[in-house]
Amino acid sequence: MRRLLAAVAAGTFLFAVTACGSSDDGGSSDGKGSSGGVTTVTVGLIPIVDVAPLYLGQEKGFYEKQGLKLKLTTAQGGAAIVPAVVSGQYQFGFSNMTSLMIAQSNNVPVKAIANGIASTGEDGKDFGGLTVKQDSAVKSPKDLEGKKVAVNTLKNINETAVRESVRKAGGDPDKVQFVELAFDQMPAALDAGQIDAAMVVEPALATIKSQGAREIASSLVDVAPNLTVAMYFTSTQYAQENPELVKKFQDATAESLAYADAHPDEVRQIVTTYTKIPPAVLEQVTLPKWPADPNRASIEKLMQLGEDDGLFKTAPDLDKLLS
Amino acid sequence: MRGQNAVLGAAGLAAFLALGEAVPRLGLVKEAYFPPTSRIAEAFWDEVADSAFWSALGDTLTGWALGLILASCAGIVAGVVISVVPYLRETTASTIEFLRPIPSVALIPLAVLLYGTELRSVLLLVVYASFWQVLIQVLYGVQDVDPVADETARSYGLGTWARIRHVLWPTALPYVMTGVRLAAAVALILAVTAELVIGAPGLGARIAVAQTSQAVPEMYALIVVTGLLGLLINVGARTVERRALAWHQSVRGEVAV
Repeated sequence: MRRLLAAVAAGTFLFAVTACGSSDDGGSSDGKGSSGGVTTVTVGLIPIVDVAPLYLGQEKGFYEKQGLKLKLTTAQGGAAIVPAVVSGQYQFGFSNMTSLMIAQSNNVPVKAIANGIASTGEDGKDFGGLTVKQDSAVKSPKDLEGKKVAVNTLKNINETAVRESVRKAGGDPDKVQFVELAFDQMPAALDAGQIDAAMVVEPALATIKSQGAREIASSLVDVAPNLTVAMYFTSTQYAQENPELVKKFQDATAESLAYADAHPDEVRQIVTTYTKIPPAVLEQVTLPKWPADPNRASIEKLMQLGEDDGLFKTAPDLDKLLS
Repeated sequence: MRGQNAVLGAAGLAAFLALGEAVPRLGLVKEAYFPPTSRIAEAFWDEVADSAFWSALGDTLTGWALGLILASCAGIVAGVVISVVPYLRETTASTIEFLRPIPSVALIPLAVLLYGTELRSVLLLVVYASFWQVLIQVLYGVQDVDPVADETARSYGLGTWARIRHVLWPTALPYVMTGVRLAAAVALILAVTAELVIGAPGLGARIAVAQTSQAVPEMYALIVVTGLLGLLINVGARTVERRALAWHQSVRGEVAV
């Protein structure tokens, strides 16, 4: 009897699967949808400035040159991208380094294969910043002890960064109260006084600054000079089975990153095609750096800090993650 | 009577829109986070002029319609089978009561794992949520069958199929219609939620992009669109219901003797 119900439910889902099977171009799920020597790969992205090089590289034909066609799909965050890459729905994805290290330390089979973004390394001129309200009594990260600081995800890269800023300023990060808030809600929350400080990245940083907020630290810069903040990754299985495809993706991405780094105006232009950032805000946005290679030393520092703060159950294996 | 209702409805809406214009203008809330009606309207027209908006609307409607059809068919078939086959109802009751309250959004990780950010993820959530709305109503509807009518049909030698067709179905139909109408609204909510959270293409994903882009008026404009969509769907469902139940007392009204 129960089996019947299960059968009905299973049948429904099966029908759902087949009903829309035709809208699938076949290339997205198995990754081998090649036609005329062009392989279509699906890449899971977050619709933010950071991933502009892929859109630009696609437009400039860098991927086509390698025989790749990118199907760029946007998701709201790593929570959707990582499982989709691991299960083979996507061939590649974009994620921040701490999330990748957490995944790796939990034996989630991911492999970081191409550089994503790096901080600018310039204090006060980074794409992420620790900000307080204009008239706040907080002058330095040390003053955040006992205060409420918003980060987009608890126990992740931005919390690590803020803790390091507090530590560097001579404060005790354990006395800071962290709360989780989406970047886009931070300007309003800071303005309304619901939080005392916000660790925010572009384009919300530009919005916050336009409200007259003060930046008290460039926390990503505090972690390490030229910190590798995010990378493109794939599943270990896909990397093993398709080494040439991964190599092609790496080469085309390296070219795209270099191009994006050298052509900020084109970056700002292409961003308008996949986000809705208002032109006035976009002008004020500080772009990240797009070096071709990840900075291993900075990732080690990020891992060390994460370990000190208890982010990982077991130490991540960087050789396995990055090789 | 009808005209008066329309006038009152329009007046209510106008007052609401005026309030939406006045509150930010008076500085009660900051314009940056709650733009006045006129600014939202401006963004709304910009959206309407954008072809990407229409394809997003199409994606949302596809997810909604496919999900609703699947859920309705499955709900009706399952409901009738459960009611007709002896003992099946008792056997499934606890399972249904266990599965039904599970919020569809709790299945998001599963949907992502199975289907990524495709339409199928949306369908999984939509079908799961709206299936129960239909199923439960069908079960209630079948329970409402007049035992005397059923016995009469039996004694006249009507088979199972004929009894379903002539006795059970007409009794259950008003319930089924209620179920489908409820499911239509739930399906829209879940379709937009899935797009918003998972990022499957559609209006929800567009709202999310506007939100992360700090494009506040555009975000509200899209939210207004989803509201209008819900309104249209409800009106549509009621029309269908009235047509299908034109013979029924609830629609026809009591005939004065």
